[in-house]
Amino acid sequence: MSVSIDIDKVIKKYGDTVVISGLSLQVHPGEFFTLLGPSGCGKTTLLRMIIGFNSIEGGTIKIADRRINDTPTDKRNMGMVFQNYAIFPHMSVKENVAFGLRMRKIPEKDIETRVDEILRVVKIKHLENRMPTELSGGQQQRVALARAIVIRPEVLLMDEPLSNLDAKLRVEMRNAIKSIQRQIDITTVYVTHDQEEALAVSDRIAVMNGGIIQQIGTPQMIYQRPANVFVSTFIGLSNLLDAVIFCEADRKGIVFEFGYRVEMQNLVPNVENAQKVCVSVRPEEFIMVEQSEEGIPIVIQNIVFLGLHTHYFVKTDHGQVLEVIQNQENTAILLDGTRLSLKVKTDKINVFHEKTKGTLIKGETK
Amino acid sequence: MKYAGEGRWSIWKSFSLMILAVFLLFIIYPLVLVLYKSIMDPFSGAFTMEYFGRFFAKKFYWSTMVNSIEVTVCATLLAAIIGLPLAYLMRSVKIRGSGLLNILIVISYLSPPFIGAYAWIQLLGRNGVVTQVLNEIFGVAFGGVYGFAGIVLVFTLQSFPLVYIYVSGALKNMDNSLNEAAESLGCSRVRRIWEIIVPLVMPTLLASSLLVFMRVFADFGTPMLIGEGFKTLPVLVYMQFMGEVGGDDGFAAAICVIIIMLTILMFFAQRFLANRSTYSMTALRPLVAEKASGIKQFLAHACVYIIVGFAILPQIVVVYTSFLRSNGGQVFTGGFALQSYEATLFAKDNDVIWNTYTLGIMSICIVLILGVLISYLAVRKRSFLNSALDTITMLPYIIPGSVLGIAFLFAFNSPPIVLSGTAIIMIIAFAIRRMPYTVRSSTAALGQISPSIEEAAISLGATELKTFSKVTIPVMMPGVLAGGIMSWVTIISELSSSIILYTNANQTLTISIYTEVIRGNYGNASAYSTILTLTSILSLLLFYKLTGRRDISI
Repeated sequence: MSVSIDIDKVIKKYGDTVVISGLSLQVHPGEFFTLLGPSGCGKTTLLRMIIGFNSIEGGTIKIADRRINDTPTDKRNMGMVFQNYAIFPHMSVKENVAFGLRMRKIPEKDIETRVDEILRVVKIKHLENRMPTELSGGQQQRVALARAIVIRPEVLLMDEPLSNLDAKLRVEMRNAIKSIQRQIDITTVYVTHDQEEALAVSDRIAVMNGGIIQQIGTPQMIYQRPANVFVSTFIGLSNLLDAVIFCEADRKGIVFEFGYRVEMQNLVPNVENAQKVCVSVRPEEFIMVEQSEEGIPIVIQNIVFLGLHTHYFVKTDHGQVLEVIQNQENTAILLDGTRLSLKVKTDKINVFHEKTKGTLIKGETK
Repeated sequence: MKYAGEGRWSIWKSFSLMILAVFLLFIIYPLVLVLYKSIMDPFSGAFTMEYFGRFFAKKFYWSTMVNSIEVTVCATLLAAIIGLPLAYLMRSVKIRGSGLLNILIVISYLSPPFIGAYAWIQLLGRNGVVTQVLNEIFGVAFGGVYGFAGIVLVFTLQSFPLVYIYVSGALKNMDNSLNEAAESLGCSRVRRIWEIIVPLVMPTLLASSLLVFMRVFADFGTPMLIGEGFKTLPVLVYMQFMGEVGGDDGFAAAICVIIIMLTILMFFAQRFLANRSTYSMTALRPLVAEKASGIKQFLAHACVYIIVGFAILPQIVVVYTSFLRSNGGQVFTGGFALQSYEATLFAKDNDVIWNTYTLGIMSICIVLILGVLISYLAVRKRSFLNSALDTITMLPYIIPGSVLGIAFLFAFNSPPIVLSGTAIIMIIAFAIRRMPYTVRSSTAALGQISPSIEEAAISLGATELKTFSKVTIPVMMPGVLAGGIMSWVTIISELSSSIILYTNANQTLTISIYTEVIRGNYGNASAYSTILTLTSILSLLLFYKLTGRRDISI
């Protein structure tokens, strides 16, 4: 039976420095929830507050409606996978995995079967008698995971578990983690700074910066409808362009520099005419058209062919460099120095307030 | 590594052969001679087991072996029992003044053990200050700590710092995630010490215990001073060799062989135990000292301060004594004076300090040059010969100083090579004694350097020798120098080999301290010890300054 995690206005201070001030979020039972943000954003701090390695200076953390603020870590029944795995070097794979069960005074016979079962789940049964030094990074990762979940914790916590692996293994392991998490149905909080990894594994993501949650949402939502400029640039690539709002009778939209006008259906009602805004356009949300057509006039500067896509680095007449991605099938590859116009996919782009950097797109961000 | 174009004969090979020659002459030859003398009848030249027979036949002789083992095992265990918790306490609880405490611990370790012995005699001896007070208060007739108890007391307090330093270093490198992982799996604080911390520092604990064992087992000054009737092997071998009725070479040699056998046995026992459990760890999140609460905080402080207090007490006694007014001899007449310093430091034609410094510096130079070369050859120029050299350098590690001294006199007292009574023989003995430590610290320093740095230099047109001198050595230097300073401190407090090799012309500080103590002239002895301690402290500060580190490897 999986449980929920309820974090309510928690505060973390180191001396007088406040690292997290009144942060709240809820993790649903069985959910794969990711804390995503740049290093130093407080995501690991929050994770360590959940498990109890960091004290909580204010607010409450509840697991299945039980307040756990003052419960010592060894009584919390949470499994944790550490960034460097923290495999006990003086114990074999089997002993490492059995450790938590021994601490719980589980009868030796049951330990045997449970360790056996979990080693099969993470697919390292054949390595059970190896010492940690004889394991590869990915294998150590699996031991760490097995050790954390064999104790049947209420909550599984993972602190950048894939950051020490090479790129290919990282993809393999994240799929493994995801499927194992599904299989055992356990509420999971996962910390990473890698946005691609977060998008790939999570049910929901909380994007953090400077100790504050910027947005919580499904991967799709966060990518397509970022709540502010930070999220839009942190997740995926975004070209930021200056523009102004126009409001005419029942028509609303934005005007880019060079007079390119776009009508939009999904702007919030309270935008004002001539209000300055910041528009975020993902590279794939541009359409390249002939120079003569209406759009942002550009010159192609550099072309990077990547098989599936082709990346164009283009320059506007004001000298701003934009990145544009076109699918291979579209056209033949263009040449450097070609003059073109760029249109945007109106229903895809995001518009932000110039000062607050918050979104001006109608409520789809939650 | 062998680079293209490197011929069958290179400069490195000549280095190897030169070092091999030095080792054959100054390590292998003397030791073989000891073995030879122990089983050969000097008159008939025939094989004999008479000496060994004599040793095991008389209780007077073999009991020294039992004594040695008892004392050593007890002191080693006690040192581990004190050193390990102290290290954990200092790493996990915030202790006020821990920086100073660390320095005090190191200093108490650096001074020669026999200084502790005579300081404790002044406190707890027959006429010791503390003894008198105790007898007064309780109306008893406590005769002072001599014999077994005294030796164990001195050795324990002198050796636990070594365990402390090593274990503390290991704890620093321990990744606290392991601790946290255990905690998250439901392991309580007390239990984590047994389940995680002790097993992880066990190899280090064993290694440092072996060092303690070797040091205690080989020490000659302490049992000589405080042992009274309680004789240990080094005392016996010294008496047999230097005996008034003419030393018995063959018998002394036999005792030397027995001593070496025992140290070798110990060495391999430790190897066997430690090899099964060696881990390399990198501390991603090191153990953090946390402020304990209330009573715990108080207890932790009390523990640490009392232990360190006991360890540093002999030094305080010695410095105090050095300023006492005396009648110019053995009796203190009350009040303070600089008399003892006038009689030692400022006395005319007193070369003791000069001798100590020159002998020390010269042996350091030899040991550093050879140490760097050997580690380079063993790590970068792997060959059978160089591995053999590396192994030979480990030999002095298991040979007590007095045994080396005796072996040197066997070898260099008569033609073809006569060195006895010269400063050279002492310099060489010191250098050989320190060789294993220097080679190891150089190897560690070299291990930090990626071979690609050297390859880069070569690709840019430097010759191999040039690369070695312009790239490898400068990069190794900080580590090597740090090791060099520690070797220097150890060399100037060396007694066991120098007591056998010295003559009046090349007497060192430690020998002077020892002879003054034997003469009962505690004032002068204390003045000498204070100078020695001061030198150690200054060297230690230089070490900290040079390395910018706060931890020490010995």
